[in-house]
Amino acid sequence: MVTDSSLSSALVPESATPAAQQAEVNAIDASTRGPVLLLAAAATVWLLVAAVLGLIAAWKLHTPGFLDACPLLTYGRVSPAQTNAFIYGWGFNAAFGIALWLMARLAQAELRGAGFLAAAVLFWNVGVAVGVGGILAGDSTSLEALEMPFYAAPVLFVAYAGIAAWAFVALRAGRATTLYVSQWYLLLALLAFPWLYSTAQIMLVVAPVRGTLQAVVAAWFASNLFLLCLAPVALAAIYYLLPKILGRPIRSYSLSRLGFWWFVFFASWTGVARLIGGPVPAWLQSAGIVASFMLLVPMVIFGINHYGSLSGGGGAVKSSATLRFLTVAIVAFTLTLLVWAANALQGVASLTQFTLFQAAHSQLGLYGFFSMAMFGAWYYIVPRLTGVAWPSNSLSCLHFWTSVLGLALMVVALALGGIGQGREIADAGVPFVEIGRHLRPYLLTASVGAVLLLIGQLAFAVNLVWSLVRGCPICAACHCAQLEVAAR
Amino acid sequence: MNRASLIFLGVFCALAFSWTGIVLINQLDYAAFTPQVDETEGKVFPEPIPGRVAQGRMVYQDLGCAQCHTQQVRRAGFGADIGAPDAGGRGWGVRQSVARDYLREPRVLLGQSRLGPDLRNLAARAPASGGTYDAAWHYLHLYDPALVTPGSIMPRHAFLFETREIVGQPSPKALVLPPAHAVAAGYEVVPTARAEALVAYLLSLKDTYAYPETNNIFTPEKPVEKPAEADPKKGEHP
Repeated sequence: MVTDSSLSSALVPESATPAAQQAEVNAIDASTRGPVLLLAAAATVWLLVAAVLGLIAAWKLHTPGFLDACPLLTYGRVSPAQTNAFIYGWGFNAAFGIALWLMARLAQAELRGAGFLAAAVLFWNVGVAVGVGGILAGDSTSLEALEMPFYAAPVLFVAYAGIAAWAFVALRAGRATTLYVSQWYLLLALLAFPWLYSTAQIMLVVAPVRGTLQAVVAAWFASNLFLLCLAPVALAAIYYLLPKILGRPIRSYSLSRLGFWWFVFFASWTGVARLIGGPVPAWLQSAGIVASFMLLVPMVIFGINHYGSLSGGGGAVKSSATLRFLTVAIVAFTLTLLVWAANALQGVASLTQFTLFQAAHSQLGLYGFFSMAMFGAWYYIVPRLTGVAWPSNSLSCLHFWTSVLGLALMVVALALGGIGQGREIADAGVPFVEIGRHLRPYLLTASVGAVLLLIGQLAFAVNLVWSLVRGCPICAACHCAQLEVAAR
Repeated sequence: MNRASLIFLGVFCALAFSWTGIVLINQLDYAAFTPQVDETEGKVFPEPIPGRVAQGRMVYQDLGCAQCHTQQVRRAGFGADIGAPDAGGRGWGVRQSVARDYLREPRVLLGQSRLGPDLRNLAARAPASGGTYDAAWHYLHLYDPALVTPGSIMPRHAFLFETREIVGQPSPKALVLPPAHAVAAGYEVVPTARAEALVAYLLSLKDTYAYPETNNIFTPEKPVEKPAEADPKKGEHP
């Protein structure tokens, strides 16, 4: 593995010897240990919960009789429970962990008050649990990505404030004097979420706006939750880890600046493109379409920077679990943005709107890009916090290959099924009941993909728990004591 | 930390830009919408929502029906939403849905997925296989979709119904099940209050009014003129 040339210390030339630099980095990592590992554990638990719920939902689609006696598990409740557990449980916990670790490292600040932070993390997870439970119990708001009942929102908000405040404190208190590109993306994510969430809660749940303006706000919120809150953390991780592991800087730093600002300004307008053909102002639909195409520019810039960094690093990709996951994430992001632009065209939209194709697209973005980038980052971060290497390389291999295979199966099956579905919906000669029948093979394949993803996630969870147990100082001391006793 | 403040400001401006353009400007736009007062029919459109229908909408929301059903009829050129069945359309609506149709709804559930058909105009349509979408059809469909639509992927909502012993006379609300699916002798299947509210909601879904803004895309059928009624006061005989 290429030696760690600490990127943050490269920005602070007054640091002394490499050994001193490494000690400084180790101290920063040690300070983030407790909260970040707690977030990793919480994220993994929610990942598995979401996977089980997702499997139930996917099974119900091709076998409607599956568990249909229980109102708690009716498809209309299980499906949003799964997406909310995935986004707010897995997605946000993972994003928080990686954001805090990255911010501490890049700002060269040790994270203080770990206890308070841990309390905020627990509070967030309580909020998510209450929210997901509320959806299953029947208090769903039926708003996309916002289905959690209103009583979960204040809990999430307060917890978020605690966690985000810590990231800002680290930024202010840090020794670093310049901002690296990853930090811009983290600032974007940290600022965007409270704005988006509070606007959505107020304008849709607390004091609902009139008529289809609700649909406009809902579309703006759902799309920006992915593009402005989750995706930037993944991009920040990629921008930091790629140069670190490959040992060379980003292809073009100035282009990354352009890419950031272009992305920020146009990504927030792309959400309304999905309302094409609907009962909303026509100019708004057009603005969404234009913005979707504008995203192709940052896509190209990310391509130049990321593929440019990766080229020639084939050997490193094979040997590093992190790089393997990040490569998949980068490819998935390119595809996601391409499909986004394609979906904005009227001809394509009239075919793919309301079909499984959209499910394939969001799976590509949320799992293929965001989750794979998070996995890659965790594979890098966890050993540096526990102090021990990942216990099982075969488990991480299993995780990678089942993830790639499961993802490919799911996305391709849903995309092809969705296109067929769209063609048949547009053809009035096909009775609607037949469309559901024709979807069965695609839905079955997608379920198989979901099972593969779950296997991979279990492999990751086992590896993580093993790693935490091995790295835990209490367990290590106990283990040493046992060995001593055995040796006598 | 000047650079951080600059990034902060830039992100703030970008978010403010999209918030203003997408949310605020449209909020001002929509504030101007008013219900349409129709002098000839003596009604206001969209019509006020009765209490039972409002309860039904909450059941629709709580069961997550919007996960599989949309409630928007797209404009011409987008699939086959509009158009009578004999003209190559699915007959899901007589016209596209416009913003004012949703004016009175406390939660607008346009939907994102059509695993099931669009429901916006359900009460103004008829099933392709004949018959009508009346209350009896809806109760059977919710109890077991396969009874009225064989091969449907919609799950059963039997938990919205109660199988109870017949005490005295059978309930007039009891479902009439085909012999193959009948319950044990002496028992009947009746809808719960939630099922009744949900069906009342489904029976209220109708967007047939011709708002002025739909004039160039939709001409409603002329109402059939009733012959003038005989007025006894004027000495006319029927």
